Parts: sequence; structure tokens; C-alpha cells
Amino acid sequence: MPNVKEGLTFKQWKAKHAPTHKWRNKRWAVLILLNTLFWASFFFDISVLEGSLSGSRFFGIYLMDIFNSLQQILIGIRTGHFAMLTMNFFIGLGVIITFYFLVGGRTFCSWICPYHFLAENAEKLHNWLVKKKKIKEHNYAIGVKYIAFVMFLLLALLTKQLVFEDMNPVGIISRSIIYGPSVLLLWVLALLLFEIFHTKRFWCRYVCPMGVAYSAVGTITPTSVKFDLDKCGHCRDCQDVCLVPHELWFVKRGEATKEVHFTGADCTRCGLCVDTCYGGALKITVKGVEKLL
Amino acid sequence: MAKKNKEVTRRQFIRFGAMTAIGIGAIGAGAGYLSTKDTTNGENMLRPPGAIANDDFMYACIKCGLCVQICPIDAVKLADFTQGLSYGTPYLDVREQACDFSCGAMQCVETCPTAALDFIQFKVKGEEAITKYEQEHPNDHDFNIIAVQLPAMHAHTKMGVAVLNTDTCLAAKGKGLKGAPRDESCKGVYASPEDVKKGLSPYPVHEHIFDRPICNICVTDCPIGETAIIFENNLPKVLDGCTGCGVCTMICPTEGPSITIKKV
Repeated sequence: MPNVKEGLTFKQWKAKHAPTHKWRNKRWAVLILLNTLFWASFFFDISVLEGSLSGSRFFGIYLMDIFNSLQQILIGIRTGHFAMLTMNFFIGLGVIITFYFLVGGRTFCSWICPYHFLAENAEKLHNWLVKKKKIKEHNYAIGVKYIAFVMFLLLALLTKQLVFEDMNPVGIISRSIIYGPSVLLLWVLALLLFEIFHTKRFWCRYVCPMGVAYSAVGTITPTSVKFDLDKCGHCRDCQDVCLVPHELWFVKRGEATKEVHFTGADCTRCGLCVDTCYGGALKITVKGVEKLL
Repeated sequence: MAKKNKEVTRRQFIRFGAMTAIGIGAIGAGAGYLSTKDTTNGENMLRPPGAIANDDFMYACIKCGLCVQICPIDAVKLADFTQGLSYGTPYLDVREQACDFSCGAMQCVETCPTAALDFIQFKVKGEEAITKYEQEHPNDHDFNIIAVQLPAMHAHTKMGVAVLNTDTCLAAKGKGLKGAPRDESCKGVYASPEDVKKGLSPYPVHEHIFDRPICNICVTDCPIGETAIIFENNLPKVLDGCTGCGVCTMICPTEGPSITIKKV
């Protein structure tokens, strides 16, 4: 056990390597900067990051959201509109897929998504209420989001409408920041209240099909969180802060099958586990260029 | 908390999964149904140029707002849920700010990544106009391509069609217009064909000063010109070439404009 190696009790060892906010601060800086850049490009009429999170242009290079594009392609094949989709659309989709393949798929969720930012802070309220025993903890099966993913695609195909976008809190918040508030922010508030008072991280964990789409891209990516078994004290505090604790299955005593494990597609590379780990067992790495990080 | 044994049973999974599916289905169907309700009656709330048929526009538009950003006169806006035009989709309120084609080559249409605003048709029209001009003027080797191409592209627009209300129209009553057609409460801008010839950029409606014995500014300031609207029998007369751009609606001096755009 790592605390034994340092000649400390478990409690002393935890106190000595107190959690930091290193990765969280980097992540929030990127998230806030990017969403501000969207707003600023419209407000000051500059061609830096035009559009919104559904579709945008970065210095002239088109960027298309993956799930939005998937709905577009499916409906387009049904109606024949597919033939009209522009070269810019496919370039935008290609750039995003390539980029997220490199940086980790669901990295979008914790580093870019404005709803994630609100929800992770709402989660703090939820945890506090649970601690004070005001509400009960509700956890469900993570596989439900695949049902939601299929449902949204089916609805799009059946109704020939982007049904998901009418209720997608990510798009609603993004557009509200840039183009002005919408009455649909009330729906976003309702979602957040539900996450505070009932189901922890309901949208991100169990519903969001954007997350599923990004995680598909992230199944093969060099960027993920690396785990070193010999540094782990099996306290499982990392799973407590993780959005998708099943990705850290190997931290439970006896579960790990190798000395080194990597987190999978659901991991948003948020770094909360890295910041929390007392033993330094977790690190965000890019396989092949580990020395740089 | 991860430490407690929270094994989810298959029954719980099915139950929660079914509830989520039903919830999504219900909210999704509701949202989808509501967003098809165009309750504006097309009253001066128009889609940008090049918009494909509404049924297809509903899914082709990804509500990115790139058309909003690129419009140099801020004519395009995104609808809110309460406006009855499908949340997040672009529209023009031409009484506030019409499209005067001052962007040049239909920039909003060109920028749309999903062809909800279809640019190909304008590109084709522009190229046809150039070809036609070359055939009709085989000895003119230095002609201004833009001057041939752009008007053909603009003329191909069909946002709507202008409709005259002869009850309130100043010309119908034999009245003239002196001064600005609208006051500073109108924040719209435009450049008339004469302004364009002088090389002027769009400027506020309330800075356009007229002195007409009979009001005819909708005819003289129409960006398309005499294929769209003419003055006949002391009245404006809308022709087939009208693109529904809304400049006439924006500058009409009467309180409720006497010329409005009906969606087609």
C-alpha cells in the first residue's frame, strides 16, 4: 500500500497529498474561454468562432456537431436532402471527428459543453443535500443512454425533424449565450432542478445522445486517464467525484487485472479523479507522448 | 457513493429505460409538433433567401446561427419558442430590417452548411447570367462580372411577395412624402439602387430624405427595380419579379405599412 511505503497511516497519507484543482481549473478555463469566444465573435462581429455549438466556423474552417450531423444524414437519406448537403458540412464533420479522436471523444463533455459546467456545479448542491440527508441518492443503469440515443434517432427519422435539438440543453444554452436568452432556458432550469433534487447528473449520464456520439469516436483514442495499480490506496474517492464511475472499475481492491489500466470511451477526461487521487495513481496521458504531459 | 454496493437489477434497468424512452417520446413528440406550428401567418416574418420548403427546412436547419452572424445588416434573427416559428430557426422581420441584398453574393445562403438555405440555385442563376451576357455581347471582354452576376442572383430570391393596401397607401390618396419615411424608432438600414450606384453602404432608414409630390419610394428604392414593382396609374404595382425582400415594407411611411410581404 502506498501509505506504508511512505511510513504513514492511511489518514496521514491522504492529508499529506491533499486534492488539487489543477485539471479542473484548466478545464474550466478552456470551457469558459471557448463559449466566450462564441459570444464575442457575434457581439464584436469578428470571424474567429462564428455560429454556435450545433455548427460553427473557426477562422473559416467549418465544425459540425457529430450527433446533429448524424440526424441530418439519416433524415437526408430518407428525404433525398442528403444530396444537397454541402462540402462544408462534410469537412466540418470530418474535422470534429478527427479532433475528438485525438483528444478523447467525450472530452467535449467536460471541456466544452456549457450544460456540463452548470450540471457539475449543480451536482455539488445535490451532494450537499444528500449529505444533510434531505434527499435520497438515486442511481440508475448507465446503459439507458443508448436507449435514449436510439429513441432520438428514431424520432428524427419518423417525424423528419430534429426533435432532439428542440430540447437539447446544450444547444439552448449555447444559443442563449450568443444570440440572447430563450424561454427554453426554463426547461434547462427544470432539468438542473431535477438533477439537484432527484437524479444525480440525469442528463449527462442517462440521456445525452451527444455524449454517446462522442464516446463512439472516443473508443479508439490515444488520450485517456492512465491508472498505476501500485500507487493506488483503494480509497475510491476518485469514483465519488467521477461523472462515470464505472470507468474507474479497476480501483476497487481486487478488481484490477493488470498493473496499468486506461479509462474507456465514457470517460470525459475531466481530470477530477487525477486532481483527487492522493497517491498520484491517475494521470491524463496521451499514449505515445506521455513525457510531455 | 461508489463504495456502497449499488448493483442495478435488470428489472430496474428495464423500468428506468422504459420511463426514459416514454419520457423522451412524449416530450419529443410534443416539441416536434409545437415546432411545426408556424403561427406567424407569414406576416412579415420571412425565412432568409434560398430557404427550402418548410417541411424540409425544419430538419435541414441545425440552428447554428451562421446566417445570423454573416448578415452585414443584421437582418436575420433566430426565433424563440414563443414566436411560433420553430425555436432557433432564422427569420427576418422585414418591417424592422429588410434584406437589401447589400451583402453582395447572397452570403447567408452561401454560408449555410446543411443547405437549409440552398445556394446552388443562386450559383446556377449567376453563371447563366454571365453566359447569356457573353453570348449577347461577344465583343465585350472587360465587362464587370459582378455587375452581371449579382442582380441575377438577387432576382432569383423568393422570400415572399409584396401586397399593396390601397386603403392606406399615400399614393392612392394622392399624398406626397417630405422628409424621412420613418423615425428613429426604426433601427433598420438600407442602401437604395441610387445609393449603390454612388458606392454608399447601407445607412439608417430615418436618414433617407425624400421630397416627392406623390409618394413612390417603394418603387424607386426597390433593390430589384422595374421587374419587381412599377408605378402605374398613380399607384405602385407589384410584378412577378418581386422577391419579397421587404425593403418596401420597411420604408413605407404609413403607420401599419401599406405594402406588406406575404409568404409564398
